[in-house]
Amino acid sequence: MKISDLLKLSTDNLRRRKGRTVLTLIGVVIGTCLIVVMISLGIALNQQYEGMLRSYGDLTKIQVYNYTYSGGGNNENAPPVLDDKMLETFKQIPHVIAATPQYQPSNLSAQLYAGKGDRYQTYFNVNGMDPASLEAMGITLVSGGYLSADQTTTSKNKIPVLVGENFGYSFEDTRKSYNSGKRYVYQGQLDANGNPVPPFVDINKDKMILRMSDNAENNPKTREYELVVVGVMKSDYNAGYFTDSGIVMSIADVKKLEQAYQKLTGSKGGNSYMVSSTGGLMREKDNGYNNVYIKVDDVDNVADVEQQIKDLGYKEIQSLSQVREQMQGQVRKQQLTLGGLAAVSLLVAALNIANTMTMAIYERTKEIGVMKVLGCELGKIRGMFLIESGAIGFLGGVVGVVISYVVSFIINNLQTIIMFLGLQNQQNGEMGYDSMGMMGGGMMGGASSIIPWWLVVGAILFATLVGLVSGAVPANKAVKISALEAIRRE
Amino acid sequence: MNPIVRVEHLRKVYRVGKEKVVALNDVSLGILPGEVCCIVGASGSGKSTLLNQLAGLEKPTKGKVYIGQHEISAMTENELAKFRQAHLGFIFQSYNLLPNLTAVENVAMPLMFKGVGRKERTKQAMAQLKRMGLAKRANHKPTEMSGGQQQRVGIARAFVLKPKVIFADEPTGNLDTKTTRQVLYRMLAMAKENGTTFVMVTHEKDLAGCADRVITIQDGNVLSDIVVDEETKAKNRAQMFAGVEENLVPDEPVAAQPDTPDTKKSEEK
Repeated sequence: MKISDLLKLSTDNLRRRKGRTVLTLIGVVIGTCLIVVMISLGIALNQQYEGMLRSYGDLTKIQVYNYTYSGGGNNENAPPVLDDKMLETFKQIPHVIAATPQYQPSNLSAQLYAGKGDRYQTYFNVNGMDPASLEAMGITLVSGGYLSADQTTTSKNKIPVLVGENFGYSFEDTRKSYNSGKRYVYQGQLDANGNPVPPFVDINKDKMILRMSDNAENNPKTREYELVVVGVMKSDYNAGYFTDSGIVMSIADVKKLEQAYQKLTGSKGGNSYMVSSTGGLMREKDNGYNNVYIKVDDVDNVADVEQQIKDLGYKEIQSLSQVREQMQGQVRKQQLTLGGLAAVSLLVAALNIANTMTMAIYERTKEIGVMKVLGCELGKIRGMFLIESGAIGFLGGVVGVVISYVVSFIINNLQTIIMFLGLQNQQNGEMGYDSMGMMGGGMMGGASSIIPWWLVVGAILFATLVGLVSGAVPANKAVKISALEAIRRE
Repeated sequence: MNPIVRVEHLRKVYRVGKEKVVALNDVSLGILPGEVCCIVGASGSGKSTLLNQLAGLEKPTKGKVYIGQHEISAMTENELAKFRQAHLGFIFQSYNLLPNLTAVENVAMPLMFKGVGRKERTKQAMAQLKRMGLAKRANHKPTEMSGGQQQRVGIARAFVLKPKVIFADEPTGNLDTKTTRQVLYRMLAMAKENGTTFVMVTHEKDLAGCADRVITIQDGNVLSDIVVDEETKAKNRAQMFAGVEENLVPDEPVAAQPDTPDTKKSEEK
């Protein structure tokens, strides 16, 4: 017997019992539709959470702190030294792309000058980072290039740096009094004609001089370096606030400046103790970075890498993926609850299919008997009934998915639809710009129901499977019918 | 000549509640290839049970049934299905046509099970229906046909695969005398033409007279197994089919028309 003949027999049978087939189908349609919509709501919720998290920062970044809450000043629980060697160890961990501190030297104070006669001035705040990690850390450039490892200190007193795109605004005009509004230019400040006011210093053109001093009252000793801007960073708070108006240079250069400053002033950076907010003593290790950022290749590997870092002895680790896991757990719980409810309705649909198929077999007992006597193999008889129940599941799944799309569309555009109906009701109302604005706002809020392709395929497959499974028992029953008794039946 | 259907010490016991009913006691017989064999007996004698055992529709309690070289009493249901497909045909008392299929689809059904393509099997089924004088009824549903016509569709269906053996259980039981004779005539002619062994259960003695072999069953035992001699057979057949041959309307005997509006339409064609 050919498959095409089997298919035709089955579909003919379904068509003959149109009314019953349609009723059974409706059950499957409702079940599938509920499941798809529930899952789509969960997916949308998850995506909204993810979006929220992303706005907090990079999910694949881990922050490792170099302190522990050690009781009574003993150092047994203290983490190992977080130095450049340890950085290399971090980089060896699988899935780690980059590891860098954002090193802000505590024992270095200097001023930056620009303009004729050092007219413009700002405090020198620097982040020392591993040049190889910049791109991985999410720093993007408006112009120029990244720092490269061999670029450090091209000549003795020239230091390559990256600056934030709004770095120019941090300079102040020393010729204006502190009370004058003209001493500062803010980003976004407009002049009388409504044009933005440029900062005092053009970071791409003007020469910037770093000057440190021992602040002696008479004849102070000073040292000068020139900062060479090799790239301008795009302002992105997820990568760090310093990308807006800060300076980045290689760790080696920062350390060189630090040493020069110490030599100049004779002061030494000592161990510093800090008191945590809970009153415990946080100990900063000697010669170690306060904290280090680690970039992981994929969100899914973050937990794994975190564990390995913990194994190295660092207890204070922070990453958004911890928050993410909690959120996902919550969403999963919600999805399970919603999906469970939907599954109940599909279960009812499955019972419905089984009932329909059982009825069909009672009606067609004689037919089955005749087919058996005429030499129809048992497998084909089973196949015929399975195709029928599977087809009900498949069709129900397809229609259910289509309806889900409609429901999803309505959910996503609920505000717009209500607005539209509102417009109809209040035709005299002045709904011009306001309603348009609100409509726009409603759409900006993000979809609250999302149906990805795998959900479509999965739902249809699942509905078909439900059909097949619920048809299996009746189909086996059909196979077991005694041919002799069946043909004797009137 | 070796018998094509062979039965050895067949015994069939039914359980009805706590009682055992012996339907067949100890039956042994053989039917030769190409024979027309009638199994006769009073109702309750066990003749239908015997036919069911011969056709493999039921498993015997004891004993063996052979068709050709194959012991069908030992086959699984799937093996039996394939065997039936290849070698056996069936004609039923109540026709057992599928009500949702047309005549030609009913006839083509065994071919479909065998895997013959739609075009080819329709062609073969049409040829068979023509032989039965039902070409014009090919696209009618069973409910639109008379009993005689339905049974002729049944016969066409049994012969369409050119089986070695055809089993018929009271094939004329639901038909009037005149139609009975016509249907019987057709069956015998077809069997002879194809060299088919034809095993028929009937309780009408005069039908049995036309057979090559008459097996009489009584109380689950073979009462007699008679090979009818040619002379008697010829005489019986002549008597039985007197006038049938002339009256054998090649198509649509008017007497057997059911009065559905559909039929009238096709008459006008």
